[in-house]
Formats: sequence, C-alpha cells, structure tokens
Amino acid sequence: MSETLLSMRKITKRFPGVLANDEISFDLFKGEIHALVGENGAGKTTLMKILYGLYSPDSGEIYIKGKRITIKNPKEAINGGIGMVHQHFMLVPPFTVLENIIIGEETKKFGLLDESLPAEKIKALMEKNGLIVDLNSRVEDVPVGLQQRVEILKILYRGAEILVFDEPTAVLTPQEVEDLFKTFRQLISQGKGIVFISHKLDEVLEIADRITVIRKGRVIKTLNRDEATKSLIAELMVGKPVLLEVSRPDVKEGPAVLEVKYLSLQDYRKVNILTDVSFTVHAGEIYGIAGVEGNGQTELVEVIAEAAPILHGDILLNGESITNWDVRQRREAGISHIPEDRHRYGLLLPFSLAENLTLGMHHKEPFVNRFQIINKNKIREHAKAVIEKFDIRTPSELTTALALSGGNQQKVIVARELSTEPKLLLAAQPTRGVDIGATEFIHNQLMIAKKEGRAVLLVSADLDEVMSLSDRIGVMFKGRIIKEFEREKTTKEEIGFYMMGEKEHAGN
Amino acid sequence: MNFGLILFFLVKGLEISAPIAFAALGAVFSERSGVVNIALEGIMIVTSFTIVWASLALNSIWMGLFFAVIAGMLIALIHAVVSVTFKVDQIVSGVAINILAFGLARFLSQKVFGQETQTPTNPHLFPQLLGINSMAFVLIPIAIIAWFVLYRTVFGLRLRTVGENPEAGDTLGLNVLGLRYAGVIISGAMCGFSAATLFPSQWISGMTAGRGYIALAAMIFGRWDPIGAILASLLFGYADTFRIMFETKIPIPSQFVQMFPYILAVVVLAGMVGKARAPAADGKPYEKGED
Repeated sequence: MSETLLSMRKITKRFPGVLANDEISFDLFKGEIHALVGENGAGKTTLMKILYGLYSPDSGEIYIKGKRITIKNPKEAINGGIGMVHQHFMLVPPFTVLENIIIGEETKKFGLLDESLPAEKIKALMEKNGLIVDLNSRVEDVPVGLQQRVEILKILYRGAEILVFDEPTAVLTPQEVEDLFKTFRQLISQGKGIVFISHKLDEVLEIADRITVIRKGRVIKTLNRDEATKSLIAELMVGKPVLLEVSRPDVKEGPAVLEVKYLSLQDYRKVNILTDVSFTVHAGEIYGIAGVEGNGQTELVEVIAEAAPILHGDILLNGESITNWDVRQRREAGISHIPEDRHRYGLLLPFSLAENLTLGMHHKEPFVNRFQIINKNKIREHAKAVIEKFDIRTPSELTTALALSGGNQQKVIVARELSTEPKLLLAAQPTRGVDIGATEFIHNQLMIAKKEGRAVLLVSADLDEVMSLSDRIGVMFKGRIIKEFEREKTTKEEIGFYMMGEKEHAGN
Repeated sequence: MNFGLILFFLVKGLEISAPIAFAALGAVFSERSGVVNIALEGIMIVTSFTIVWASLALNSIWMGLFFAVIAGMLIALIHAVVSVTFKVDQIVSGVAINILAFGLARFLSQKVFGQETQTPTNPHLFPQLLGINSMAFVLIPIAIIAWFVLYRTVFGLRLRTVGENPEAGDTLGLNVLGLRYAGVIISGAMCGFSAATLFPSQWISGMTAGRGYIALAAMIFGRWDPIGAILASLLFGYADTFRIMFETKIPIPSQFVQMFPYILAVVVLAGMVGKARAPAADGKPYEKGED
C-alpha cells in the first residue's frame, strides 16, 4: 500500500471510571478513506479529539508521515496538517462564510483585516474541489449542506492533508450525501487521506477503503472493504448478532386519531415556522415525518404535545379539538411524547429511575394517596415492573437517570410514555444518539404500539428510520408538508429530492 | 429659545453622556468576547477615586488618568480571573466586585485623606473646550477606533468569535480565555476614561450613581455595537442634561424628574425585548473539551 499519512500507536485515555481508549492503534494511508465505526461511547470521538489536540492521551504515540509528534492543542494539529469537520459544526452563525473560513488564519494589510487576498485563495479552492458557496452570505442564512462545505473549505484553507469527518452525513439528505462522497473522492485523488466516522453502515460500505471497528475503547478489527458486510460490521460493533431489519406487523388501519388541519405557527419575529400543515394519523398507523432538521418538525411535535399559541388551524384528537387544551389535559386524553431532547425535556437527570418513570402520573393514585402524599413504595414497585418489562439495564430502580447510558435513558422515556397506554404516541428522534441494541429495541416497541392499535407520529432526521418504520411519510420543507407518500410507493431518492424543496411547487 | 442655550445644551449633553458612553464602549468589548460585565459600576467607583488620588499625589491630571486606567484594568482583571478562569457566574462575580469597590474606595479615602465619604478637591483638571471638560471630545476618536478594532482587525474578529462560539474558536487554535481576558480588561480601561469625564475635581462616595448600570443598558440598547452603544449613551446623557437644565422649571417634584433617565432606560429596554441579539455565548463560561 502507499505512503502512511497518519499512524496512531497504542493510544490510551482514561476518564474517571471509564477506559475510553485502550491501546488503540489506527493508520491512515495517502489517498484512502478509512472508516471508523463503533457504538456511541465506544471511543471514536475521544480518539479523534486526541488527534486534534483537544484531549491529551495518557499514553501512546502519534506519527505523521513517519515523524513522531505530540499534539497539545488544535493549533498544533492544524500545523501538523490535520483538519476536522466536527459533528456539530464549529461555525459562527452571524459571521459571513469568508470570515468563518479565515478565523485564526487571517491575513493583514496595514494592520487591518484583509479579505480580498483570502477570497481569491478560497475561490481557487472552491473551484478545484467543486465546493461552491457564496462567500458573503451569513452562515446562519445558508442551508446545512452548504454549511458543511464551509467546514470543509475551512480545513482545506489550512492546508490539511488528514481530514477527519465526524458523522458528516447525519444532517444531510441523500443527494447531499452523494455530493459529499463526490467531494471525498475528489480529495483522495489529490493524495489526501480521510477518516470517516459514521454509524450508517450502508454509507461506510459504499465509500470506505478500510473499516476499523472499535468497541468499548478497543480496536476489534480492521476490515478491507471486500471482506466487510453490513451484518458482520454490526456484529463486531455490538459484540453479538444484530437483527437489522424491523419486522412489520400487518395491522388493519383504524379510525383517525390525530387530525391536524391547516396549522400555522409563527415565532417571536412573526416569521412562519409552520404554514397550513395538514395531515391525519390513524389508529394502528405510523406516520413518519421526513425532512432536513430545522424545517418545522420540532415545533410541529411541540404544538401537538403542548399548548402553544398558534396562528390558525386546529388539532383534533379522536375528532375532538384539543387546540386550547393544556398539557395535562392532552396527556390525560391519551397523548404521549418522546421528546427530541431527552436531557432537557425527557428526564430529570439527578432524579432516580423510579421517579422518572412516574413523571406525568405522579399526581395520580396509586402513586399518591388522596391527600396527594407520595407513596414511595408504589412508585418503586411500578418502576421495578417497568424496568423488567422494557429491559432497562440499571443496577436498581433507585439509580439516577444520569448514571445510565444514552440508550438506557431513552428506554426509560419510551417505557414511561408507553406505560400510560396512549392513543397517540409522538416520537421525536426516538433513536438519536442511541446504540444499535437500544435502537433495535425501540423500533420493536414502536411496532408493538402499532400492533396494539396506537397511532404513532414519528419524526426523525434519519431517513432510513422513517422509511423502514412508517406506513405513510410526509416530507416537511420550510414549515410545510410539501408531499405525502405511501411507504411502498416511494424511494429514498424521491423523498430526498423533496426534502431539499426541489419540487416545492411541482407537486401537492 | 436662543442659540447660546441650544449650543450649551448640546455641548453639556456630550459632557454628561461621556462617562456612560466610555463605559458602554468598554462593555461592548467585554460582552462581545462573551463576558457580561455588570462590574462596570464598581470599576467606575474605583477609577473615579483613583483619578483624584493620583492627580493630587502626582500633581498632574494626566498621571491621574493614567493610574485610573490602570486601576480600572486591575479591577477588571479580578472579574476576568474569577469569571473566566474560575468560571464563577459572571453576574455574581460582577455584583461582588461592585460591593467590594464601594467599600474599597471608602476605605482608601479614609486611609489617604482621613475622611471616608469624600476627598479634598482636585485643582488639576483637564483643559476646557467650548466650556466643558475637553476629555468628553476624546469620545469621538475613541469610538471610531473601537469600531475599527472590533470590525476591521484580526483581534476584533477573534474577539467576536469567542463571544459567539468559543468552541469554534478553540478548534481554530484561538486562545479563548486570553481573548476574553482582553475583552474584560479593555472594558476596565474604558472605565478610566469614564472617571476622567465624570467629575475629576473631587471624589464623593456614591457619585457614580448607577452610571455603570446605565452604561450596561446603553450597550444593550445599542445592540452590542460601539456606535449603537454611543448613541444610546447620548440618549441617556441628553435626557439627564434636560433634567438638570429644566428641573427647577417643571412643576413636578424634583425626585420624580431625577428618575427620568432611569425610567427611560427601563422603557427603552422593555421595548427592545426580542429584537436585540446578544452574542450567542455571552455570559457562558467556556469549558474546554465539554461533551
């Protein structure tokens, strides 16, 4: 094989109570795309943060082009030719694209900031790599896919040869993913090397030359592309065979449970977040909302779950308008909600599992007596039963929610929201940041809910998830549902097309 | 109304606005770097004592100004150490400094001059121009320089970066904490100029009378922008000038008339709700490597 760009040898990093990286060795060749896969918490991000100088390793060595270096901070990483596109973009939204690219590598003219010379340099980079962005737009006005281009331009501007992409496709539509992969190929043809971190195995198999699987801080195996299969990688990641396909029960659709009619919502600046959104979810149906994040999905779920002042429109539950009901009325009428941000809205992290599992029912018997005094024993009994039923991995029901892994925290929420036997379940990003095992479990729970005749509204940024679970799919773009599909009658590519608003005026 | 009176009103208004404007200008730098500086009031107390003390001791108002600027930077440095390095809540740190400064100035006055609530009068004054303290006019070039520094220099771009997204700054190799120190210390230095235009002829306990807070309000009303902050300070300053000049001619108890600038501050800020946007990381300590 060709020249080695990067070699990390026996990197070990210990955090209090966790061995995040246990003698991890990792190589990157010139002109190669090397995928790094593993469950959340397996140690991928820690390893890359060490490479980028954000953490210092307890032991281990890093070589760049055969030369040993120590990287104490990002500046040294940049100087060593390492560039990173972080999972959460490191951009300054109110600044222009140009400013974002040059921060830290500015050019001066007479002591003042010079923008003309960098602009020329960046334009040359944009043309060479097919990454066109308007340099004078503010980043906050630029769509997510283009923001990522800004991030790539940022690292190319610094002359990086080792490019690390931490879950770059999570926020992209399928077409944008194709564009990104084109860019990848373009970059490796120039002799650069790419580390591609992802948990989307199809994408890894499509683009990577080699695949390194890590689990619990250790390298399990490095595979060449021709020896890798999806199920093999998944098994290596989890440590046991995984069922990747969800089995879909055949359920006869019932009456309409949730009806949203011409719903419009504005933010404090009087800008429309939702515009005339209408759709219906039936009993025994999973209705999926696909769309690039930030197109109104979050607000749509919130306005159904909570009371919010809407501009106009109506929300009906079993034919009855609930638009003016408060949250408790809605919950008691049978709405459950798995919120998008589990830490902020889903759990009380410093509280015990028992308490978290009774939230929302805590004011009702048997959890309180008729004087509203809490009955701790009943809460614990209930928790024990739910933990058993939903297979939540915890030392005890008195453990705090904080102490659990992300997957188990999410299971706690799913368990609580389903234990009320809701008529309508709102599931917003139910498997975000959750490991494969818990994802499988949560998907099965959604299928069970469907089988039991519950209506489910699923919102997910993961198009594969929406495609595999939903019966019907609505595509949201700029606060509208611009197209609705039957699951069998569409393709990922078609939905992706609408997600970008390309057919905004064509259909519907 | 005659021409002379109008001219006097305009010039006097500048003089009265200047202490607020300098502090507001300083606050822009602190807040754009991500540090809320409610300690302006306390820093102003210390600088307005220092300018009198150093002038008397060294027989020069210019030495007074020099040491006032230094004193302002030192008190600001305390705020930076506590809130940037040790990540104590910035409001708590600021309030603590205000209380400390109040006592410190009185303590020093007692030690140096033998009286707790005021100093002797300071005969060394800045030259007069158009009948007012000429330092007030310095505001104009300083405002222009501040605008250039913030928007047209590398330092300004980096300072604004760490105020908006310190993590991004960190990944680009910027010294986040150093830049925040710089922002806070600039605001302390500016409070030295506030003291130079407030009342350099004597220090009296309580003479700042909340101008530090008004400056903070002006900075917010001015949308975290140097020129905006100056214009907002002028609004408050002229409101106060109007109050001073016409207080006795209005048939309202003077205590109510004196409230005018402060009520204006409240009304103006309430009207701003939802319109102004603070730097995204303003008030948030930066934790490196946070997940």
